[in-house]
Amino acid sequence: MASKLIPRIRPFGDNGILISYDVKGYSETACKTVHALGDILRTQEDIWTNVIPAYDSLMVTFNPMMTKADSALHNVEAAYEKISKRLPKSKSKIIEVPVYYGGQNGPDMQNICKSSKLSEDQVIKRHSKITYRVCLMGFIPGFAFLSETDKKLHHPRHETPRGLVSPGSIGIANWQTGIYGLESPGGWQIIGRTPLSIFDSKRKNPFALKAGDMIRFVPQGDPS
Amino acid sequence: MSGAVLKILKGGTQTTLQDAGRPGHRHLGIPKSGAADRLSFALSNYLVGNPWDAPALECTLGGLHIRFLKQTRIAISGADMKAQINGMNLGMNRCVPVEPGDILTFSFGRIGCRAYISVEGGLKGESFMGSVSTYIPAGFGGLEGRAYRAGDEIYSAELDSSGANTLPFGYAPRLSRHIVLRARSVTEWDWLSPAAQRYIYTSPFHATSDTDRMGARLRGDKIDLAEKKDMVSSPILPGTLQIPPSGQPILALIDGHCTGGYPRALQVITADLWLLGQIAPSSPVSFRRCSPEDAPVILRGRNAFYEGLMPGFRF
Repeated sequence: MASKLIPRIRPFGDNGILISYDVKGYSETACKTVHALGDILRTQEDIWTNVIPAYDSLMVTFNPMMTKADSALHNVEAAYEKISKRLPKSKSKIIEVPVYYGGQNGPDMQNICKSSKLSEDQVIKRHSKITYRVCLMGFIPGFAFLSETDKKLHHPRHETPRGLVSPGSIGIANWQTGIYGLESPGGWQIIGRTPLSIFDSKRKNPFALKAGDMIRFVPQGDPS
Repeated sequence: MSGAVLKILKGGTQTTLQDAGRPGHRHLGIPKSGAADRLSFALSNYLVGNPWDAPALECTLGGLHIRFLKQTRIAISGADMKAQINGMNLGMNRCVPVEPGDILTFSFGRIGCRAYISVEGGLKGESFMGSVSTYIPAGFGGLEGRAYRAGDEIYSAELDSSGANTLPFGYAPRLSRHIVLRARSVTEWDWLSPAAQRYIYTSPFHATSDTDRMGARLRGDKIDLAEKKDMVSSPILPGTLQIPPSGQPILALIDGHCTGGYPRALQVITADLWLLGQIAPSSPVSFRRCSPEDAPVILRGRNAFYEGLMPGFRF
């Protein structure tokens, strides 16, 4: 990379700080950096009430009764100084996510085929050959926002969101791809579905995925 | 002491079990939840002698009918919904005894949105990540993660109660129909047009019928963005005001999504977050600029005031 990315570190309300790169599209460097910064800040349990890594930004919240806004800001800047010199290596293992692509499981597969001028098999191949980073969890419990998918597969959201998207659905929104952990309304182009339960509040560990994980989609069934 | 303490005869618009919520899990997509109006919730618990964060009923807009199955004490705080016991008017912010068979009914209030009903000893619900707060979108907490309906029976949490309390003068918040929120400009503030930057702090908005525990859609003067830039999904908090392309802002509330995809213009100060719970459909909502120096001073003052009454309480 020619020019070094420098994030902005700013207060957010009276109890938050936002570190953001504001890059256009997806930046692996920005995502890796905010996640590494999140890992460091997460160890400072006495200061932070939330540490929320995202695509190119990180939000932390603190208790304004215990921590002054200035010192919270300095703390984040110091942590950034530390990792900006050398990004710690992440040692996440790759989680395999089985997917049934197309058909009833992927009602919008044809939209992607049309815009990309690729066959369904080619779309599946391109979507599943990338190792994705889980960049962000939310907007509902279990929704995994993943890193950039293949350039040919980029596709805007539906103008009017679907009333209900099945849990486990895998979608595309512009350059993003992601997994719906729960049944919910949603505007992403759905190309497949995983039988893996991403979120189950009754399970001992309700979360199959967390931000920072690396995942790979494994096409299931008969590709014929 | 077996058996339920009360039975729901009518659930009303939406009645759920709430406590102080499950903070600290936003990175997993789990919102804090808990009582939407934390202050009124805490005061109703104080009145019956419960710890301030004991699980209590949160009744939205009204229409709730309850039959008590045991002798106990209750208190109601928050929005006044003309509560009656066996047809007799029941005052707000008072601890009152109830007998088995007594029927508590709520009509609909004109000011505010949520009433809290605390029962001596607190109420029991399904716990998830350390809280029994009902979070309907993902179906956990409370009873099967849903709003109560006719026939549901609720048990006591059997917490220690210190006995009935009275609220000293000046401690009951005076709710107004017009919700005024002190806020600070945040990260995408610069994206607003100069005109929008002026009237976002001056002209009142109205909450639309699209208002629930997750958020309030506001209608008012169009808040224009100076430039349309794409935004990637980014963290938001309860009290974050986002500006979608329509120019009609969305205010995130206590069950709000942990991430949003629209520019973030304002953040309501911590000391005023409890008021978000009293935004009803059609409530006028205004924002007032709060300086960075004032916000912590206001919070410290408010916390000190109420902590004297309720040890450990924090806005």
